[in-house]
Amino acid sequence: MTQLMNENGIRCDGRRIDQIRNVSIKVGVLKNADGSAYIEFGKNKILAGVFGPRDVHPKHMADQDSGILRCRYHMSPFSVTERKNPAPSRREIEISKVIKEALQPAVILKDFPRTVVDVFIEILQADGGSRCAALDAASVALVDAGIPMRDIVSACAAGKVADKIVLDVNDEEDKEGQADMPVAYMPNLGKITLMQLDGILTPNEYKKCLETAIGGCKQVYEIQKKALMEKYFKNGEA
Amino acid sequence: MTSSVIIEQLKREKILELLNQGKRIDGRGLHDQRSLSIETGVIPKANGSARVKLGDAEVVTGVKIQPDKPFPDLGDKGILICTAEILPLADPKAEPGPPGEEVIELARVVDRGIRETEMIDLKQLVLIKDKSVIGIFVDSSVLNTDGNLFDACSYAAVAAILSCTVPKYEIKDDAPVLVEGVTSKPPIKTIPVSVTMARIGDHIIVDPTSDEEACMNARITITTNSDGNICALQKGGSDGFTIEQLIKCSEIALSVGTKIRKQLEQLM
Amino acid sequence: MMEIVKRKYVIPGDVIITGPYRLEQNVYQDGDRIISTSIGISEIYENAVRVIPLSGMYIPKTNDLIIGKVIGHSSLSWEFDINSCFIGFLPAQDVFGRDYSPTKDELKARLDKGDLVAARIANFDRSRDPLLTIQDRDLGKIESGELIKIAPSKIPRLIGKRGSMIQTIEMATKAIVTIGQNGLIVVSCEDPVGLLKAIEAVKMVDAQAHTPNLTERVKSMLGVELGENNDTINE
Repeated sequence: MTQLMNENGIRCDGRRIDQIRNVSIKVGVLKNADGSAYIEFGKNKILAGVFGPRDVHPKHMADQDSGILRCRYHMSPFSVTERKNPAPSRREIEISKVIKEALQPAVILKDFPRTVVDVFIEILQADGGSRCAALDAASVALVDAGIPMRDIVSACAAGKVADKIVLDVNDEEDKEGQADMPVAYMPNLGKITLMQLDGILTPNEYKKCLETAIGGCKQVYEIQKKALMEKYFKNGEA
Repeated sequence: MTSSVIIEQLKREKILELLNQGKRIDGRGLHDQRSLSIETGVIPKANGSARVKLGDAEVVTGVKIQPDKPFPDLGDKGILICTAEILPLADPKAEPGPPGEEVIELARVVDRGIRETEMIDLKQLVLIKDKSVIGIFVDSSVLNTDGNLFDACSYAAVAAILSCTVPKYEIKDDAPVLVEGVTSKPPIKTIPVSVTMARIGDHIIVDPTSDEEACMNARITITTNSDGNICALQKGGSDGFTIEQLIKCSEIALSVGTKIRKQLEQLM
Repeated sequence: MMEIVKRKYVIPGDVIITGPYRLEQNVYQDGDRIISTSIGISEIYENAVRVIPLSGMYIPKTNDLIIGKVIGHSSLSWEFDINSCFIGFLPAQDVFGRDYSPTKDELKARLDKGDLVAARIANFDRSRDPLLTIQDRDLGKIESGELIKIAPSKIPRLIGKRGSMIQTIEMATKAIVTIGQNGLIVVSCEDPVGLLKAIEAVKMVDAQAHTPNLTERVKSMLGVELGENNDTINE
């Protein structure tokens, strides 16, 4: 088993306990999609594409009063250590649902009745925290597609590793650590729209973990904002 | 996918008009492919990977290698499984769910193009005869469609295989155990190269875009190998070819294929 | 005369201003904070706040001139792809008159799948799909030209103040440019060189719509003399 943290509080990949991995986001990378984004979050490599608002098929799924949101989180067979069957697993279906519910409070679809906004996420390479990174890319892709939104959704996980609360859990820390808490946050409205916990935390650790995760979300928000500005506001202020 | 694209009548007329002058709408010659870019090692965690852009068509292929049980009656050969998928983010017409007939045809043609051409010497991938072999999974994902996914997926799959590294396994207690830090090159026998052509009226064009596919009468994909032999073929589309056209297509496939093979050989 | 008080780049969730303002497009209110729902340029004018979006598909507006592609028909109307999530409908009686009931074949003979048409949005409210009309002189089937698609948000820049940008392009290249508010544009020109230049100019505006000094760069590319008179071509 790898040593997850050394005497100086340095983690197995060289990070401090309050440090997130390297994150880079590129907006508008797919030609056919209405909006898209590509994110590298540590070793995670994730592509998000958005179509819509568009007609719903089958028609009975349409909502007469509002557009609906659909989300698909899918891992490529070559994205994980042991090759994965291309068919959607139960884990992917659950993650698709929580991601959709994380984005739902942010999108405004009442002006597009009987339509659907489709969010497609493909994990090309996974390394812990992929659902948070996927959400970060999906939010940006929605903005790129011009879907009206109340706020950006920013996501990051915190966890407990070697008895300490750490920010942004990687794959090894997720497997060998003590707790993993992915969180998604709308920074301007101050609302948490995704939260899960895997592991055991005392009530104090729970508070600290949540605060730590939100701090990570705010850091990711700045990166999302910068990526959008780079595509749309190339020349600074209007 | 292609069947439901309604191309503008003006564009269709323009494509035909230009073809009658020996030209194509994007300025290419009839037998020119679009620019092809191949990048390998894009998924470092996989054993091999490649990202191909053929014009605006974009594919990522990953190769995963792991120990597996052999197929019954094929205990002296490793396992090779090739799949292809058009991701729903690749095209507004692509929908998630079980693959339709177009995607299944794509996947099976890509698979045959690697397997039946005997690109990999599967006999060298045996660990314990009849019990334990090396399994190679070649999975292609289309990220953006723009015509001719057959060639885009084929080049990505071949490039990922040529540039992959095979882990080493030793047998301990009758089971394969990974030897860390030791890898070898894949046992390659030949480099198959597919070339897809479309017939529009009496004209044969190489590497159709999605607009050209919307106008085409028929389509053919011909795969050739390093020995200059034809080793896989698929005709598609709702109309036919004459014998002369099919022979001409095979000649085009050989000459265009030779050029592409040079680009692929550099990846070994 | 509208006076723009403040203009800035915003993304969804950005607070534009606080206080009692009239809410116009692409903003919402949270408490007394007025927040953008789009990525774009926020404008505050005459006690109203709005955001001009830089992304997003075309949302039909009554009276807009658009370019649509026929994708089907019944015996009562044609259906159009108008580059929006809404399908445009052109009623048969708009073309055949109220007293005539055409057959499906007669509709097909007039306008068939794949035909490009310049039309006007006759009526749109969100409860049903937009209704089109081609009854005006400049409307109807487009017989020739090249179709270009740009982001609908760039169309105002392509037209320019009182049509200045598009006039510059047309005069410099002798091309005729039909602009749809839905982001579709048809360029036709007898001279193939003029055609290519006009297309390049349109694509340039699409790529650089919200940058300063765009007019000069377009004029320079077209070989037009910079300065007051912009209707001469530099040899």
